[in-house]
Amino acid sequence: MYDFNAARKRSELLMNIRTHFISKGYLEVSTPTLSPYLIPEPTIKAFGTRFINEFEGCRDLYLIPSPEIFMKKLLAAGSGSIFQISQCFRNAEQLGDVHNPEFTMLEYYTAGADEKDSIGITIEMIEKTALKGIRAPWMDEKPLVITMHEAMMKYAGVDMDRAEDISYLRKEAVRLGLHPGDGESWDDTFNRIFLTYTEPSLPKDREVYLTQYPDRIRCLAKKDGDRPCRKRWEMYISGIEIANCYDEETDREETRKYFEEEEARLVRERQGTGDVIPPADPSFPSLDIPQSSGGAMGLDRLLAVHLGLNCIAPLLLFPLSDMLRPEKPETV
Amino acid sequence: MIKAGQIDKGTALLIKGQPFVCIEREFVNPGKGSAFVRLKLKSPATGQVLSETMKSQDNAEDITVEDKDLQYLYNDGENFYFQNAETFDQIDVPMKSFPDYEYFMKEGETYRATFWEDQVLDIIIPSKIVFTVAEAEEAVKGDTVQGATKYVTTETGLRVRVPIFIKQGEKIRVNTETKEYLERVNS
Repeated sequence: MYDFNAARKRSELLMNIRTHFISKGYLEVSTPTLSPYLIPEPTIKAFGTRFINEFEGCRDLYLIPSPEIFMKKLLAAGSGSIFQISQCFRNAEQLGDVHNPEFTMLEYYTAGADEKDSIGITIEMIEKTALKGIRAPWMDEKPLVITMHEAMMKYAGVDMDRAEDISYLRKEAVRLGLHPGDGESWDDTFNRIFLTYTEPSLPKDREVYLTQYPDRIRCLAKKDGDRPCRKRWEMYISGIEIANCYDEETDREETRKYFEEEEARLVRERQGTGDVIPPADPSFPSLDIPQSSGGAMGLDRLLAVHLGLNCIAPLLLFPLSDMLRPEKPETV
Repeated sequence: MIKAGQIDKGTALLIKGQPFVCIEREFVNPGKGSAFVRLKLKSPATGQVLSETMKSQDNAEDITVEDKDLQYLYNDGENFYFQNAETFDQIDVPMKSFPDYEYFMKEGETYRATFWEDQVLDIIIPSKIVFTVAEAEEAVKGDTVQGATKYVTTETGLRVRVPIFIKQGEKIRVNTETKEYLERVNS
């Protein structure tokens, strides 16, 4: 019932990752999983709970979808390079092969680095922390770095230089046999094409670093010069999204703008739906974040691809899906 | 109408007037994007499989289906033949729509089937089935290494790797998803 062999592999991987980052001079930190405020991210739904406190008043608290908010405060306070392995929580995600509402995340920030440096840092970390006696075939292939521009052209025939224009993007979606909804946002039409044609076609036999995400998908990564993209990448192995990385935004004005716009969008989209609306951290936009690059990696997924699996449930001792779903009929 | 996010394995949908059954559903939440679902939908009539990516909030046309118990009779290489356990009507289902199902169809056993109008959309295979070993290789003499295995064939033609102590005529329990031997069943 419980796969203790998988539990041992998980323990080994976590130990290797800790040892690796500590040997590279990163400080391991532990930050809260329960917080009164979050970074506004309209596409992520948080778990909300209530802190009962009869002395100072009750407060709504939220389980963190990532420790980013606290780790950036430490960076701004001069921590230098830091990492953390923590439990993170995302609500409203269906239970699936590579999703569990509670999962283990590695978050690592390298002071002075940019997102290009982080590719090398990540490749080295994965190589150095691999499990003993198990070498998945993808580890022997040279990692691929490909821009979103190249990938969208190659796998969907869509020219990202023209895609800023939503009418072009919609036309391309229709040409590809997709059905973008009326008045659909740029992000959603882009993702329809990306998820149907581009993401499934990325090579599955190696680490793939997909770089230069469109500027229109808002995030706290720096803008990439004059081009309509951001200094952000996502990494895939065996077709599974494993990690996400930014050259962290250091411009306080840009951060303030992001907070204002995304919080407004979050409130607009959720009001009246019953979904929790976590307040944005008011002090965050004033943080003086130094030049740094941060990566976030799903460790349940990394462990799965090391073991040649395409799902994480067998690696969790208590997957939520098992706790919630009745079993199928046993026998004829 | 249902939201695409509510579609699960086994959900029946009407696409351009034709019924399809969801056989795979993968939830995808692209980094910093809204939730989408990637679906594989199978036409029970032709066996054709469609891939669709929909936003969780998109609407899809679902159809009302009904589960009925069917007793499996036989197959002739083209169709499976069942009898409705209540009405005794005979029902034929094209085998090409359900590849490999013949290995799990035991004569006389009752299976739950999902119907839309008169059409069988899905046949539910239990997660574990007890089979009789129809043919077993003789264990190689002297091969006493612990964990040694051999192949046997069940009465339905399924080849299963089993421990060498399993003999012809014995009953074994098999995981139907992995086609792996689970245990010997004492009758």
